[in-house]
Amino acid sequence: MTLIPVAPCVEDLPHGEPAPAGMAVLARAEWPEAPGDELPAIPGFIVSSFSPLVAEVAGRCLRRYFGTAPADLARGERTGVVLATCTGDLATAAAIAAAVDEGRRVQPLLFFQSNPNAVVGWLTSRWGLSGPVVAVVPDGDPMADARDCASLLTAGGDADAVLIIVADQGRSPDEADHAVALLIGPRSWPEAGTTLDVPVT
Amino acid sequence: MTDLPLIPAQNQARGPQQVAITGMTATSAAGRGLAAVTGSVLDGTPGFSGVARFDAGPCRADAAAQLPGEPVLADELTEAVEAAWAAARLPVTARAGCPLLIALHADPAAARGTGARQVTGVTAATVAVRCGLRPAPRVYQTACVAASTAVIDAATMIVTGQASRVVVAAGFLVDADSFALFDAGRALAADGQVRPFSAGRQGLLLGDGVAAVVLESAATAAGRNAPVAAMLAGWGRSGDAYHVCQPRPDGGGLARAIEVALHRGQADRSEISYVNANGTGTQYSDAAEAAALAAALGPYTAMTPVSSTKSVHGHTLEASGLLELVITVLALQTGRLPVNAGYLAPDEECELDLVLGPGRSPRGRYALSLNAAFGGANTALLVEAA
Repeated sequence: MTLIPVAPCVEDLPHGEPAPAGMAVLARAEWPEAPGDELPAIPGFIVSSFSPLVAEVAGRCLRRYFGTAPADLARGERTGVVLATCTGDLATAAAIAAAVDEGRRVQPLLFFQSNPNAVVGWLTSRWGLSGPVVAVVPDGDPMADARDCASLLTAGGDADAVLIIVADQGRSPDEADHAVALLIGPRSWPEAGTTLDVPVT
Repeated sequence: MTDLPLIPAQNQARGPQQVAITGMTATSAAGRGLAAVTGSVLDGTPGFSGVARFDAGPCRADAAAQLPGEPVLADELTEAVEAAWAAARLPVTARAGCPLLIALHADPAAARGTGARQVTGVTAATVAVRCGLRPAPRVYQTACVAASTAVIDAATMIVTGQASRVVVAAGFLVDADSFALFDAGRALAADGQVRPFSAGRQGLLLGDGVAAVVLESAATAAGRNAPVAAMLAGWGRSGDAYHVCQPRPDGGGLARAIEVALHRGQADRSEISYVNANGTGTQYSDAAEAAALAAALGPYTAMTPVSSTKSVHGHTLEASGLLELVITVLALQTGRLPVNAGYLAPDEECELDLVLGPGRSPRGRYALSLNAAFGGANTALLVEAA
């Protein structure tokens, strides 16, 4: 067993959102969280900051609740992931477009990272999250869209908890990347860091 | 039964609300509308030819299943939603406020524009405005389960009382960026044919696909004497937690989605009369899907007809789940099973009862439409004959 200090739930879902009954925000993270915050690279992902951005903000959020990866089986298999991104992976798309427009071959690694699902697969394989995966491209408030999707996952019984990730790349050199991750789950779930009766490896 | 994880109690039934498919249409390289699509998949006539819409440049593959000319996605989607609405025999006045969920591939124009707004959002909003549906439709980009995920969300909205009627639309038109990308990933079949579950399969080929369905609560549909094409009896979705882009080799995630769909639909695995498989024609994922079917259907695997219609219309990416759902409904409606085209010889890793020629009939009321995607996302839709 690994014992991790207990921390309280961060906050309730804001008023006015269609929060499922009995749900709470179990952990929260942002990127950046401090000046000089850096994004660790992910092996196999190139050219773009999008996938590292998603991986880092999600990893921070999950560590604050589960401690070290992976999550315990009982909670991991009932946790889904919703990724909402207004921009999508701009840099990867631009690299593909440039290669096509110039008549060059596209770098093979771009194939594997071209869809936002890919980095979610990287994340869920490490954390053992085997609930459903949903990716949406909101035209309005991305957090509202993501919360709606998460509510459908829990209301329909497809997941008990949902890792919500809202991630957007800067649209110009002057605009920074930004991401927020929330782990929402049942109020009946243990508070952050509580050890369940299963080994945490 | 299998030794798959227990299904949580809340997943075991669909609740008091039932979901009806009251209108639908589809477009593929075979043509626009159900008649064209039906003919091609029931006869097993592949729609692949050399790409003409753009220069394939340095790509090693050169085939796709494409509509002639240069179709415009927003126009195709608008036409599809209009046709599905008409098939549901709904008045135009009922459109206002009806939600639209839409699955789209990233638009190549976004990579070449100012980035001020995602082009997919513009396309989706255009369709909603033209059709008079609720503005600000939700856009799904969950790779190859985008459309099936939208269907499941729509069904969930209906069974939880959030909506009584939802339109789901999806579209992908083959473009130069997608073609070059899949070619770079060595995912495209260099021999110009898609051969799902067959020895000698070389990969997938891309195809144009557009579809739209109207989902309604069965009570709402019955209340207005609506035509019912089929019932969406159950659905399941899961994640593999395995890899960036490869499925679990044992098919465990997809098998779990199938089991959830069967439990939710209160159907027994012995009652499945047809499976429209994800069947991309790639070595690794077809074997994993065959393993998933074996795990979920057990001894009934050998007697459950399976085909992947991607062998005819190609891989329509984000639109796959909806185009293939429509085809699955058509199989039950017509009493004829779509053909798994391109087949050469058995593969011992894919021991399935494949539909290898036209004329076979489903022997029961239920059929499954399966999809799997990058990131290990899996969906299973259970369709029941009306």
